[in-house]
Amino acid sequence: MTQENISGASPSLSRLVQELNRLPGIGPKSAQRLAYYIIRLPDDDAYALADAVTSVKQNIVFCEECQNLTDASPCQVCSDPRRDRTTICVVEDPLDVLAMERTRTYRGLYHVLHGVISPINGIGPDQLKLKELFIRLTRDDVAEMVVATNPTLEGEATAMYIRRHQGREDLRITHLARGLPVGGSLEYTDETTLTRAFQGRQEI
Amino acid sequence: MAPPKTYRCEAIVLGYSPLGEADLLVTLYTRDQGKVRAVGKGARRSTSKLVGHLEPLTVVKMSMAHGRSMDIISQAEVINSFSTLKEDLTAITKGQYLAEMVDGFGAEASPNPSLFQLMIDALRVVEAAPESDMALRYFEYHLLQVSGLMPELYHCVECREELEPDAHRFSPNVGGTLCLDCNPEDAHLRPLSLRALKVLRLLDRSQLAEACKLSMDDSLAAELRSLLSTTVSYWLGKEIRSNSFLERLHNETLPEVYI
Repeated sequence: MTQENISGASPSLSRLVQELNRLPGIGPKSAQRLAYYIIRLPDDDAYALADAVTSVKQNIVFCEECQNLTDASPCQVCSDPRRDRTTICVVEDPLDVLAMERTRTYRGLYHVLHGVISPINGIGPDQLKLKELFIRLTRDDVAEMVVATNPTLEGEATAMYIRRHQGREDLRITHLARGLPVGGSLEYTDETTLTRAFQGRQEI
Repeated sequence: MAPPKTYRCEAIVLGYSPLGEADLLVTLYTRDQGKVRAVGKGARRSTSKLVGHLEPLTVVKMSMAHGRSMDIISQAEVINSFSTLKEDLTAITKGQYLAEMVDGFGAEASPNPSLFQLMIDALRVVEAAPESDMALRYFEYHLLQVSGLMPELYHCVECREELEPDAHRFSPNVGGTLCLDCNPEDAHLRPLSLRALKVLRLLDRSQLAEACKLSMDDSLAAELRSLLSTTVSYWLGKEIRSNSFLERLHNETLPEVYI
């Protein structure tokens, strides 16, 4: 039950609760808690939150190159002259770019698909930024494409689709290694991961 | 006596969606409980003991605990990951098509071991021969059968006369085949060729392996694909969404290449 059903609640408070309730993972009770927290915030903090929401909706655009979310297109990565422009790493979501950047290992460019092919959920190739990727591959001087979709069924299917449709014969196409996570345990590892870990074993 | 708090089951993972910070809401089709929606706590963390064991189209042996609203997966061990199937885009999509149908027809707390076995058998055939569509047609027909919705193929559903070996008509909503003389109201009639009727009867009588030996020309395959998927969608009350991507792959003539 949302606040609108409670008699005596202020309409503006009800509206805030309703809007918060629409966020993923926020139920009616959490929405009420957050709304009352926002009311108790100092004015500056509450306005800063409202301003951040407004600004993100007004300023964020897709980078014309990599399709990542950015304040100015092209994004910081695509406009950085020190990045290796011959390698493109294809990821599912903007958060994956952040994860890759945290490694400080990869110095190439990215391409963000904004999802994976998920036929059960009605998401096909046309709903993703795949057309933009294929145009980039024909236009830019790309020598290697690292397909870094998640190693899930849908991530792998998307990687296969990209491999099948990318249209260049001279392009090196790789994907990230599959294997054991740091801190993992052999005992609980599934057979597919263990098999791939064995296939990718390295000398020590 | 209170029911036990934990139970073991054998299940096919149909799909999952993220839940909260690191959990998964997993849809399973179990042999003994029917469809079950359960929570994999922390299953999205790379070091979780559940990670890799809950991928869709995997047969898993599980330990589950009854939760207040949903059951909790405490252990999962892969029995068959269908790893070869998962190296082929068309085979994966066919597997997802099967999973979507089982998700739609399967009911919670309503076990149907025949449906469980039918899905495993169909996945095995798709894995062995991803290019053939016969496993899908067999699955669609027998999905209707094990769900109590088998279409009538031998007598007119209206006048009950035995059907002569000839072209007839078919209607999902009146329950199967009609002779040319009967024309009930609101029956969305579609033509049914004699060849298609013979294949349907073959699907009815034969085992999966035997049915999959049959090869069909493109027009007959298209007629059966349309007829059976329309019938399944009619009973499901909605379109099977993975069908459109499957059709798209089917219409592409590009060679198969894998990473």
